Amino acid sequence: MAAVAAPDGISVGKWAHMRGHRRPTAGSWQRAAVAAGLVVLLLGTAACGGDGDGGGSTGAEDPQEGAVVEISEQGEPVDGGEIVVGLEAETSSWLPGRGTFNQPGVNVAYALYDPLMHRTEDGDVEPYLAESMEPNADLTEWTLTLRPGVRFHDDTPLDAQALKTIFDDYLTAPGANTAASLDEVTSLDVVDELTVVYRLVEANAAFPVLLISSPGWPFSPTAAAAAGEDAGARPVGTGPFRFVSWQRDSQLVVEKNEDYWQPGLPHLDRITFRPIPDEDTRLASLQSGDVDVMQSLRQSTVIRARDLDGIDNYEHLGSNSGGGTVNTSKPPFDDVRVRQALAHALDQEAIIEVLGGAGVTPPTTQFFSEDSPYWSAKVAEAYPAYDVEKAQELYDDYINDPDRSDGLPVGTQLSFTYSCPPDPSLNEVAQLVQSLYGALGAQVELEQVEQATWIQKMLARDYDTGCTRVGADSDPFIVFDAAFTEGPLNMTAFQSPEIDVQLDILRTTTDLAARKAAVEEIGLVVNENVPNTFSGGTLTVMAGREAVKNLAGWIFPDGTTGNGAASAQVMWGHVWLAG
Amino acid sequence: MYVLRRLPSLIATLLAVSILTFLMTSLLPGDPALQILGAENATPEAIAAVRSELSLDDPLPVRYLHWIGDALTGDFGRSYRTNEPVSQAIIERLPVTAEIGLLAIVIALAIAIPVGMLSAYRAGTRTDKVISSTSFGLLAVPNFMVAILLILVFAVWLGVLPATGWVNFTDNPVQNLRSALLPALSLAIAEMAVYTRLLRTDMIATLQQDFVTMARVKGVSNRRILFRHALRPSSFSLLTVAGVQVGAIIGGSVVIETLFAVPGVGRLLLEAVLVRDLLMVQGVALVIAVSYVVVNFTVDILYSYLDPRISHGRSSARV
Repeated sequence: MAAVAAPDGISVGKWAHMRGHRRPTAGSWQRAAVAAGLVVLLLGTAACGGDGDGGGSTGAEDPQEGAVVEISEQGEPVDGGEIVVGLEAETSSWLPGRGTFNQPGVNVAYALYDPLMHRTEDGDVEPYLAESMEPNADLTEWTLTLRPGVRFHDDTPLDAQALKTIFDDYLTAPGANTAASLDEVTSLDVVDELTVVYRLVEANAAFPVLLISSPGWPFSPTAAAAAGEDAGARPVGTGPFRFVSWQRDSQLVVEKNEDYWQPGLPHLDRITFRPIPDEDTRLASLQSGDVDVMQSLRQSTVIRARDLDGIDNYEHLGSNSGGGTVNTSKPPFDDVRVRQALAHALDQEAIIEVLGGAGVTPPTTQFFSEDSPYWSAKVAEAYPAYDVEKAQELYDDYINDPDRSDGLPVGTQLSFTYSCPPDPSLNEVAQLVQSLYGALGAQVELEQVEQATWIQKMLARDYDTGCTRVGADSDPFIVFDAAFTEGPLNMTAFQSPEIDVQLDILRTTTDLAARKAAVEEIGLVVNENVPNTFSGGTLTVMAGREAVKNLAGWIFPDGTTGNGAASAQVMWGHVWLAG
Repeated sequence: MYVLRRLPSLIATLLAVSILTFLMTSLLPGDPALQILGAENATPEAIAAVRSELSLDDPLPVRYLHWIGDALTGDFGRSYRTNEPVSQAIIERLPVTAEIGLLAIVIALAIAIPVGMLSAYRAGTRTDKVISSTSFGLLAVPNFMVAILLILVFAVWLGVLPATGWVNFTDNPVQNLRSALLPALSLAIAEMAVYTRLLRTDMIATLQQDFVTMARVKGVSNRRILFRHALRPSSFSLLTVAGVQVGAIIGGSVVIETLFAVPGVGRLLLEAVLVRDLLMVQGVALVIAVSYVVVNFTVDILYSYLDPRISHGRSSARV
């Protein structure tokens, strides 16, 4: 087996820098993995929500830090065959605008639908189902041209009018969960049979990013209208596979779209997607051969999947990091000294260890991971390092300040609440944070809040500080505009005129160098003011039997290499099963 | 007559269950509107719009009356999350849970009855001690741990049964049974231990009764004494507990169905709770409560079949 082999017809590029991984012999490791799973399970990390990171290492020898891609020789594409894919959760509805598409849902969606735009291996956003996407000079209008001759699975043509109907009647309809993200679009107008214009309220260089996700997955408006309330259960797209059947929480079956618009694709005849919420039994299903490919977003599972024999692992370290959020609208957190003290007091390595990612998950210092073009060494340098003395100095400086913002008498210790969702590993993190802050003299009360309530509290800024996810695999403008402006999603309440200036640059230019510089500036402001702290990135994996090929080797219709299996999301039309 | 006499208390129980279910789910923290929209889209206006569309801002009593009124006509509303009718979701899932639950009880009884009888017959011997300590051991192991061990042995090592997944009976009866076996076995282990212990205790008492001694004196074979004479009068506790344990099986199904990725009501309930899908939670909880009450009501009636000396009036006090 080659450590890293170039899938046929694709560039090694993105994957080439990934290091190979020494693999222990199988058998005993398989048992160890499941036995370790049992221990993890007993600790209660099984199933249900939480923030993702969980469990402990299986004791694999010297796990490698960062994403590891170890795959077998890919060979030539073969047509035919069927596979079963184990996903980590079910999706509520398959209709864009109604369904909430997390990583598992996006996997199924990429079989049924085609995204109008997609991301290349370099991080650029380019047309996939669309033929072209061009902005006007001031980036307030984006003209999208469709490819001729593309039809939905029900034979309805994909034309400009279809896009308009989808936009008007579904994506921006009252109650649609895409309405808010499309708020900036004043109208979608038909120019000719295959061309539409998205007119925006103001310039947005990052607008095409939106069309990678559900607002950019065209579905048959005629089929949706005919299905009415049940449209979400009978998806009809343009994708490489047609919908066959769906039994909720059991399986969704798709079969080859013989009339697919990309010649030669798809290779597989049939895919069955099965939501298997429990990490341990999903892994056991891969071992037992019940599923051919398995997705995981938990680093403990990622590490265990590395030790399975006959399995190809496609790992990805995205820009989603664990971390902390601080409510800067509330004293004492409105004072930067307190925030800096709390940041310096955090031992990130220890937190990563508690999360089970020691030696595997690299420490994080900013919103974008090292794999992202927006990562900056300067910003990394500026992140408050673990420094107890400095933390104590800043802390004492604040509590002994006669004008301290919380109005309490000089010398009064800080007393606040640290909130986290009820996930066992997060609970351990919270206890560690409590002791680290406690060492400064602060009295920290721990609070467990159900995920939904926690989000609500953060949105309402009705909290002190706590755990959350920081960063996103999206365009920096989208990420920072949500995080640090007046909008409702600014959970830290932190704003800065300097960030506003840089956001304007991000919004109005497509030039990568200028955008990188703007992101760097924002990163520096953020790390100086620390409304957020970081606790390590999140590894994801698509692990599949060696016979399942090309899980990460998808290409654009023009031959450009795509972004692989980023965030454990696969373009299934390009996958084949070796004979 | 007996059924009619019990009817008012049954209705009162179900009414109380419906009110409690409704109150508990409605008073849970967390806004379903937020779950529906997702954090990225949850602007205050969008949240307000969704809340108003779902009538979440109406007073609780008004919402309860609307819900129970519709529920009585079989309309439990549509899921906030998936938009599928709650009643349809329950109808689709109930057979899965029922099949696994029934299979679990059948497996548990099939093993517990002979083993319990053997234990009683050999009371105080080494066989009895081994059976007793094994039963206690099995009782102490939580079902999710049993499930993982079963998967490890039967799916990963031996490869004879699927680790996860579900095949509908109508699609393939054999595969259906294969997919139901491990989940049922996971639920059955603890039940089996309970049944064995109960039957042993009752049967030891029965075997000391005069009519058994009389049978022995008359030269009736041990097998005939155990199965024909002693088993029936020793089954009361077993039957009562089997009825009560239906609740444990339904509760266990929440965990087991999630572990085995089986589309039953337990998993439906769990997913609904996690995303504050209130109408789904209320519908499922109500159906589970009704099933539980009905099963125990049925057990009550079965007493008279087991022992005609028991009057209905007396057995009515048992539940």
